[in-house]
Amino acid sequence: MTCIATFYSHFGAVRFKRTCQSLGWPARLMPVPRDLSSSCGTCVRYEGEVPESVPEETEQIVAVETAGYRPLYQAENS
Amino acid sequence: MIDTKKERLVIVTAGLITGVIAAGLTKLGNPANMGFCIACFLRDISGALGLHQAAAVQYIRPEIPGLVLGSLAAALWKREFSPRGGSAPVTRFVLGFFVMIGCLMFLGCPFRMILRLAGGDGNALFGFVGFAAGILAGVFFLSRGYSLKRTYRQPAGEGGALPAIMVILLVLLVSAPGFIHFTETGGGPGGSHAAILVSLVAGLAVGALAQRTRMCMVGGIRDLILFREPKLILGFGAIFAATLLGNLYLGVFHPGFAEQPVAHTDGLWNALGMFLAGYGCVLLGGCPLRQLVLSGEGNTDSATAVLGLMVGAAFAHNFGLASSGAGPTGTGKLAVLTGVAVVSVIACANTFGKKQ
Repeated sequence: MTCIATFYSHFGAVRFKRTCQSLGWPARLMPVPRDLSSSCGTCVRYEGEVPESVPEETEQIVAVETAGYRPLYQAENS
Repeated sequence: MIDTKKERLVIVTAGLITGVIAAGLTKLGNPANMGFCIACFLRDISGALGLHQAAAVQYIRPEIPGLVLGSLAAALWKREFSPRGGSAPVTRFVLGFFVMIGCLMFLGCPFRMILRLAGGDGNALFGFVGFAAGILAGVFFLSRGYSLKRTYRQPAGEGGALPAIMVILLVLLVSAPGFIHFTETGGGPGGSHAAILVSLVAGLAVGALAQRTRMCMVGGIRDLILFREPKLILGFGAIFAATLLGNLYLGVFHPGFAEQPVAHTDGLWNALGMFLAGYGCVLLGGCPLRQLVLSGEGNTDSATAVLGLMVGAAFAHNFGLASSGAGPTGTGKLAVLTGVAVVSVIACANTFGKKQ
């Protein structure tokens, strides 16, 4: 499944990408797509799923589907 | 879904419209090469409110409330108004303060830097070099763990506070009570302005466009460095192109270094001022324009940064830190160096001083 994860900091994205790669999930850093968020930070696009333990710096994770984005995870109180 | 070509087309179109508006505002009364300048306009508002006493730069610029309210309207329309904050607000205030110190050394924000270049002001080239170097310095820390930590959902009243203040500013501008200061016509840059309604509509339009496209000079160079992604910087390229063509059409393109409007020729300090501005803006997550736009979306951290910018402007003029056409001041140079040191401490403390 293709997913996009957004973060509260650039480095949060860098670390998440490393986590993905350690799990064998192809991942790359990119700017957050405009149609996903009005924030202009860094996101990670990866092939995988929601990790068992979602890092604290993660804001949201969505699945990229033909019809749009399907929410998979949202940080509490965000 | 992700459509990079469409995103690029939209942002270039928005940039072209913004450039035309910027050139038009100077024709309609704003100071030369100052169709928009977030730093200068916030400085003018600080002066109008009596926070500083520099008589030449006191006016409630309607473009600023327009930018915030335009962003608010676009965000409400697209259901993106989202009050949030709590990510190191005091640190952001300090960063905003020193970004303004840097901008007033150069005499303009990143937006005006582009407009100055489009007007033929070669001094802005030094500013551009410094600005890019400042962004590189900030990116160094971003890539090594810099974070001001997460934001949290806030009550709607918190997110709406700065837009409400902007409405009050407009009321004060129109009602012009005695305690609001106005630069007399011919008395300096504050006395040169387009009609209130024209400035307000221009601000509303650009605020809405910037909200929809996330236009940001800092983000443009940052994304180019980090991802080789030119999307955001294409917007400012379009602003430059449209303003340049507009200036040529209006006959106000004057290439050179000397005698440029509201500018000085000290290349080193033009560069260092914008170095500080770029460095601080990366750590804030966006340029002064972006801070206004995010404030309109309900981001209270950006609203705090805007307040820091305004207080920085007041300090700059109360303590002789701002440059003039004659050049930078000694205290201004000291303030910029202090700013670089303070921003570096903030960068280190929030990169290496926290448990990763």
